[in-house]
Amino acid sequence: MFKYYLLKVLRNKIYLFWCLVFPLGIMACMNAAFGNIYNIENSIDPVKTIVVAESDSAYAEGFCDLVDEFADESAETKYFDMVEADGRKDAMEILKDGGAEVLFVAGDSDIEVCLSESHTETAGMVAKTVADTYRSNFKLISEAYMTSPEKAQEMIENLASRKTFTEVDMGAFSDDPNPYVWYFYSTLVMGLFFTAMSGVNLVGDLKADVSEEAARLSLSPSSKSKMIWYAFIARLIPSVIISVIHLAFMRLVFQISLGSNVFRLILFVVVCNIFAISFGVICGLLFKGSVNTRGNKTTGVLMVSVFLSGEMVMQLPGIIEKYCPIVNDINPATVMNMAFYRMALYNDPFDFYMNMGKLVIAAVVFLTIGVLVLRREKYASV
Amino acid sequence: MSEILKVDGLVKRYKELIALDHFSMSVNEGEIFGLLGPNGSGKSTCINCVLSLLEYDKGTITIFGKEMSPKAYDIKSKIGIVPQEVAVYEALTVYENIDFFCGLYIKDKATRAKYVQEAIDFVALNDFVKFKPKKLSGGLKRRLNIACGIAHKPKLIFFDEPTVAVDPQSRNKILEGIEQLRAQGATIVYTSHYMEEVEQLCDRVLIIDKGTTIAEGTIDQLKSMIKKSEIITIETAGLDENTIAAIKDLPSVYSADYDGHVLKVEAGSGKHNVIDIVNILQDKGYKMKKIFSEQPTLNDVFLELTGKSLRDE
Repeated sequence: MFKYYLLKVLRNKIYLFWCLVFPLGIMACMNAAFGNIYNIENSIDPVKTIVVAESDSAYAEGFCDLVDEFADESAETKYFDMVEADGRKDAMEILKDGGAEVLFVAGDSDIEVCLSESHTETAGMVAKTVADTYRSNFKLISEAYMTSPEKAQEMIENLASRKTFTEVDMGAFSDDPNPYVWYFYSTLVMGLFFTAMSGVNLVGDLKADVSEEAARLSLSPSSKSKMIWYAFIARLIPSVIISVIHLAFMRLVFQISLGSNVFRLILFVVVCNIFAISFGVICGLLFKGSVNTRGNKTTGVLMVSVFLSGEMVMQLPGIIEKYCPIVNDINPATVMNMAFYRMALYNDPFDFYMNMGKLVIAAVVFLTIGVLVLRREKYASV
Repeated sequence: MSEILKVDGLVKRYKELIALDHFSMSVNEGEIFGLLGPNGSGKSTCINCVLSLLEYDKGTITIFGKEMSPKAYDIKSKIGIVPQEVAVYEALTVYENIDFFCGLYIKDKATRAKYVQEAIDFVALNDFVKFKPKKLSGGLKRRLNIACGIAHKPKLIFFDEPTVAVDPQSRNKILEGIEQLRAQGATIVYTSHYMEEVEQLCDRVLIIDKGTTIAEGTIDQLKSMIKKSEIITIETAGLDENTIAAIKDLPSVYSADYDGHVLKVEAGSGKHNVIDIVNILQDKGYKMKKIFSEQPTLNDVFLELTGKSLRDE
């Protein structure tokens, strides 16, 4: 029996298109359109850089330490290749000869940035970003010291662990996500969430007042509970495989970072698929009409959910978080998106497990209701 | 013959509408039992209640001597259903569909494989086992629908209008198959709108309307229940009003229609209906081309008992 439940799912072309092919197509299009930009961002060649400290101040010292950090061979991202110079004049000569692209001159309270004539755009961008970030961070910390030394210390610690400086906790939406990666993750979640359609079909297969085939099953002596679990697992297995295919394409073909924790990745895929199918079951039970009607209505719900999660407008979850955070908390696509984003990019287990917990609780509730309703064998009308 | 299915005082309400009103029926082992009724008369509701798919308000249903319930799996295992709509999976092939539905009843693989093959042979779908249903014609789909319902060799089979929208050849094949199933020992409950099928197949017929039994018995018993026992058709030209009135005045005649060429007379049970009418026409000097007399059909019985007004679903 299980074999046929599985065959039915695997031969469902609409399901395979929306859950497997469509997300892969979107990913391929995104890769074709924006892949090069992303690759440039992620493969910056170290810029030949000179730092001249014209002061012994904490300001100048701090900046020299920061540049050294970015020049460290063992650092995850090495932006600078340091070039030695004996004072500003010597440095200017080297810059002129093309021995370096960037010169930082650290003074008492400011950073002067000089670029060689032949500097690349990337070198200019990196130099400007580092200098600007240092200026603003130093200012913030100095002001904090004046008002609250403890707060300033906390900010320095946060800076060391590369956390944000925002005083108001914006939760999961405080970081500015990398748009390219974000859209890949959103597309993965979209494909995963579309699995809900197979949950709607499960209702059509087993609820005797929805389809004639289901009525036929209800009239047989086979256990309804067993049929429900067969049908559920026959949907879960292909869905998980599809998600793994998506992840494999993301990592191996599109070179998208998926984080380093395989256990969490597997947990994410399994939990989200279980949730998506159970969500489809609930939609299939709540909506009235034929299986197609129920499916169409569910598609509408999925589309809205995916849209609100930022699939098309990346900033949308942040805006929602500001004005109506409850929507983000109850929107399944956002919860899945954020869980994946935090897990893969920030290695943030607390946020990840919080979101997984929400999905597990919802899936348990949905499945319990679904099983109780679907195992019914007698109806008020058929 | 022992009673295999007994329905007693069944009441089913849909809010204000009473679909079944203290409905009773019984089906004997080995017979083909016809359940007839206009659209919305309660046939499908009755079958669904019997199969424990529908909740009902009152009454008892006994099958194979045991009370039917959703959990009566031993009873369910001996029942087959061929629904009105083709209820098969489009994603599975002919063989897979039959194997799937047979598998709901027969767990042993070897036995199931044998039964599935027998069902395929029975409905003559051997050349189509690898076809998906959408590639099959209407008649072949109907035969697949039947194979899915009977593959597990049930003792009691419900056929709910199995020949809707099929060509005469497929219909004939289906009807022969049903006769064959009965010959193999199955008891059949058959519903259809095609009166000639019911007349050809059924040993006993129950006519249901508005949820109650209108008539029940063998075909002959039903025919004897109606006023009309003979329809006389005479081709003749130029009949006048007086002659038609004289025919209508005959004691056993209760209607006479003349369209200028053909006189159609409906008469009750009388010994010399044809002779009496012919005598009147001869006395008046009319020449007659063709004269023939027909017995009432089940269709006449059905229309007379349930009325001629149109019914909605």
